[in-house]
Amino acid sequence: MRKVYKYGMANLICNISKYLVLVFMALYTIKCYTYFTAKDREKRNNNLNKQIFYIFMIHFLCHIMLFVNMKDTRVVVYYLVEILIAILYIVLFRVFYKNSSKLMTNNVAFLMLIGYTVLLRLSPKLAVRQFILASIGLAVTIFIPFILGKFRNLKNHYILFGILGIFLLLSVFLPVIGKEVNGSRNWINLGFISLQPMEFVKIIFIFFVASSLVKLSTLKELVINAAISAAFMLVLVIEKDFGAVMLFYVVYFSMVYLATSRPIFPILGIVLLVAACALGYMLFKDTLFSHIVVRVHAWQDPFAYQQTEGYQVCESLFAIGTGGFAGTGLGKGMPYLIPVAESDFIFSAICEELGVIFGLALILIYLSSFIAMQNIAMKCKQPFYKYVTFGIAICYILQVFLNIGGAIKFIPSTGVTLPLISYGMSSVFSTLICFAIVQYVYILVSKEADDFEKERERIAYREVSGGGNSNVSGNEGISRERTRKSKEKSNKK
Amino acid sequence: MKAFLEKERERVKKNQIKNKPLVFMTYMFVLIFIGMFSYLIYFMVKDDTEQVVANTSNKRQDSFDEYVIRGDIVASDGTVLATTNIDEDGKETRYYPYGSLFAHSVGYDRYGSSGIELSEGFNLMRSHVNIVDKVGHDIGSEKNPGDTIVTSLDVNLQQAAADALGDAQGAVVALEASTGRILAMYSNPTFDPNDIDNVWADVHSEAGSSSTVLLNRTTQGLYAPGSTFKVITLMEYIKEHPDYENYYHVCYGSDIFNSVSIRCSNSAAHGELDLAGTLAHSCNTSVANIGCNEINIGELNKFAEQLLYNGELPYDGEYSRSQFKLTADSNYSEIPQTVIGQGDTLITPLHNALIMQAIANGGVMMKPSFVDAIENADGVQMTRYKSKSYGSVIDPEITQDIIPMLQQVVTDGTATQYLGGKPYTVAGKTGTAEYDNSGNCNSWFVGFSNVENPDIVISVVVEDYTTNQTSGTYVASKVFDAYYGNVTE
Repeated sequence: MRKVYKYGMANLICNISKYLVLVFMALYTIKCYTYFTAKDREKRNNNLNKQIFYIFMIHFLCHIMLFVNMKDTRVVVYYLVEILIAILYIVLFRVFYKNSSKLMTNNVAFLMLIGYTVLLRLSPKLAVRQFILASIGLAVTIFIPFILGKFRNLKNHYILFGILGIFLLLSVFLPVIGKEVNGSRNWINLGFISLQPMEFVKIIFIFFVASSLVKLSTLKELVINAAISAAFMLVLVIEKDFGAVMLFYVVYFSMVYLATSRPIFPILGIVLLVAACALGYMLFKDTLFSHIVVRVHAWQDPFAYQQTEGYQVCESLFAIGTGGFAGTGLGKGMPYLIPVAESDFIFSAICEELGVIFGLALILIYLSSFIAMQNIAMKCKQPFYKYVTFGIAICYILQVFLNIGGAIKFIPSTGVTLPLISYGMSSVFSTLICFAIVQYVYILVSKEADDFEKERERIAYREVSGGGNSNVSGNEGISRERTRKSKEKSNKK
Repeated sequence: MKAFLEKERERVKKNQIKNKPLVFMTYMFVLIFIGMFSYLIYFMVKDDTEQVVANTSNKRQDSFDEYVIRGDIVASDGTVLATTNIDEDGKETRYYPYGSLFAHSVGYDRYGSSGIELSEGFNLMRSHVNIVDKVGHDIGSEKNPGDTIVTSLDVNLQQAAADALGDAQGAVVALEASTGRILAMYSNPTFDPNDIDNVWADVHSEAGSSSTVLLNRTTQGLYAPGSTFKVITLMEYIKEHPDYENYYHVCYGSDIFNSVSIRCSNSAAHGELDLAGTLAHSCNTSVANIGCNEINIGELNKFAEQLLYNGELPYDGEYSRSQFKLTADSNYSEIPQTVIGQGDTLITPLHNALIMQAIANGGVMMKPSFVDAIENADGVQMTRYKSKSYGSVIDPEITQDIIPMLQQVVTDGTATQYLGGKPYTVAGKTGTAEYDNSGNCNSWFVGFSNVENPDIVISVVVEDYTTNQTSGTYVASKVFDAYYGNVTE
């Protein structure tokens, strides 16, 4: 005899929504990757439009769950406003920039909507705050590609970037506005708003490194460049913001590697890092480094330090493990038990209620937007913007890695935010700026490709009309190779 | 045109070379992310994750009963020992078909739980029905049925132990010799877990404040080991004297050792004894002689601790630590009493069973366990537990030497009355341990059956032997009989 115990209709709705979200999430993720393999423009656009449909469905179903479980009619209002802004963003970007990367706008809109949803679950107050600030961010950053287009000679101002960056970083030491949070002095309080200057300085830093690498010709210049970069990192060490140091460090060595094409630099980077860690551990074990030692302990065996250092990681693992692959359903878990669930450990909160499958898909979505950025950097022929895009891509993916890796105990936790999802005005703003810059480069690349096509056609036309015979096939263009190749194939047939 | 295309090709080529680090870094991060992706899946599927979720600090466990019906606990043959009944209103009640019989081993599930209900509480609230059923239940808004715990308990043996003990207070534990699986664990006085509300109220009322009915005597009751400790003293002697077969002692019924007078039971003079005779007749003067004149007390202490006196037992449930206080620095006058199992030494019946189990198993102690397997509600096995070894605690050669002597206890010694002439062979040791100065004593038996290839190990203690006249050996013989289907009265 089967034991049956029924519980209400609300659960029925919630459970169906839970599984549907997972299905749509899987479909969205697949579309992120089939985008790269799509044969022609039409299919690609088709993919992208389907993605938008999935975004809406996931967002809608999540809010159904929230509505059922929180029993708060305001959820409906939040839902409507969120979706309105998302539509506005996607449409405006397409209208303003015909050549923009639609995959990128989709991902930005999607990740931000997920962020709002999870924050709404955790704390409606934070969600509203985040929503208002991020909407301002979207409105402002939508102009960035346009502005960048007006300033063609940014690459000449590396001294300006260097000074501005270090000055901004130092601002946290100003007496009235600087403040310390969680053992790191990396915030400034401007009265109406608190900011993490590091989030913005990292973009200035990328510009600084890119512009000085473009000019690089002698070893002496490289040394000066390295010294200034080291100064950035030194300030961050003094702030005890070690996650940021890691970020700057990896970005710097990757960019130098790209500019010089010499594998010696990444190797040097790793060797220096190991040496610095060993030295730092020996000299500052109990002072500057105690912060790190604690986190490494918590990582090695969180359960041995369950009530102290390992507390955060333990709670995070409890959440992920108990939620299981399918999750408990939004509003049915206990993500509020996880410390800093709204930023550092937001991934665990997502896994607990929306399921580990959702989390796995999220990892793949982040990775796909990284690959998209790298693709753009690859196609870009202006060294300055190539370096900038590359720097942003590395910075972005490393941040994702540090955050998610820390939450699931893959690596020690570093207190880095999850781009676009974590609560935090500085983080969201700076990520939006990054995406806008990459959009600009994408537009640049598309324009370059269009120019090339036009030029080729012009010459071909002139030669044909002049009686010349040209062999058009067999040349390697720069962009839309796939489109042309497939055309050639069909021509041959 | 050619020049133009040539120039373009040149640019592309240059760009491709420039892109090499870029491609490399992309692959690097893709690899790292594949690693992270796999790690998350690995974390979810590896066995330890259940332990992470089962961690007592994980407050999410409190909400499990919203989604899961507590699973069943069954005996090794599938007989249900605990189940959840649901009435028409959906109200769930825990039901124990055998009532008081398994009260201490299976336990109860309220007031903080106890026994298997406590130690397996987490697994009982996990549901591993197949994914289709699970989605079906989720969507149909039904609770998932919890997993079933298949225990090693044997209803027959448990019943035999309870019947033999009757009204006498005491404890019986039976283990499988080669694996440490617990076949029976019975403690008297007992209670009915179906009526736990009243039992709990009684125990916590003023009148019941001295009641020990909730105490599991097998694991928490500390008793003087009495003569069962002589096995350890003798093994120490064998260890130090390879020519132990030449041991010789004349017993006059009583004697003085280290200025302490030691008497044999009823002051009976055993006369000339070798080592086997000493054990068979449980001769106090002979063992006191060994303790005072023949062995190194420091080594004896070390050996006792190696057998887990003063230490942690490899047991997951609640238990009391056994104690052995005699050291090389102790007063000489403490030696004679301690080596024959009196003095300050205390042991739980479970621990005494473990020592006997190690002797039966070539010196290797096995971790005692209740759970054979976890099945989902449809009877599909999810996890099968293997027996775990604690490690070798006795030299195998010494076990070979002591076993024939233990067998002589049964064939021609203190246990012959109840265990002689059985169709199965038994090796063991009786004990009568005084617990006060007025001669009141507890009766022990520890031993194992089928000496050539040991089957089960039994440890019995019957309290207050003097008044209720049920001896430990009698109870053990009834359990052995039940095991071998030997029901001749």
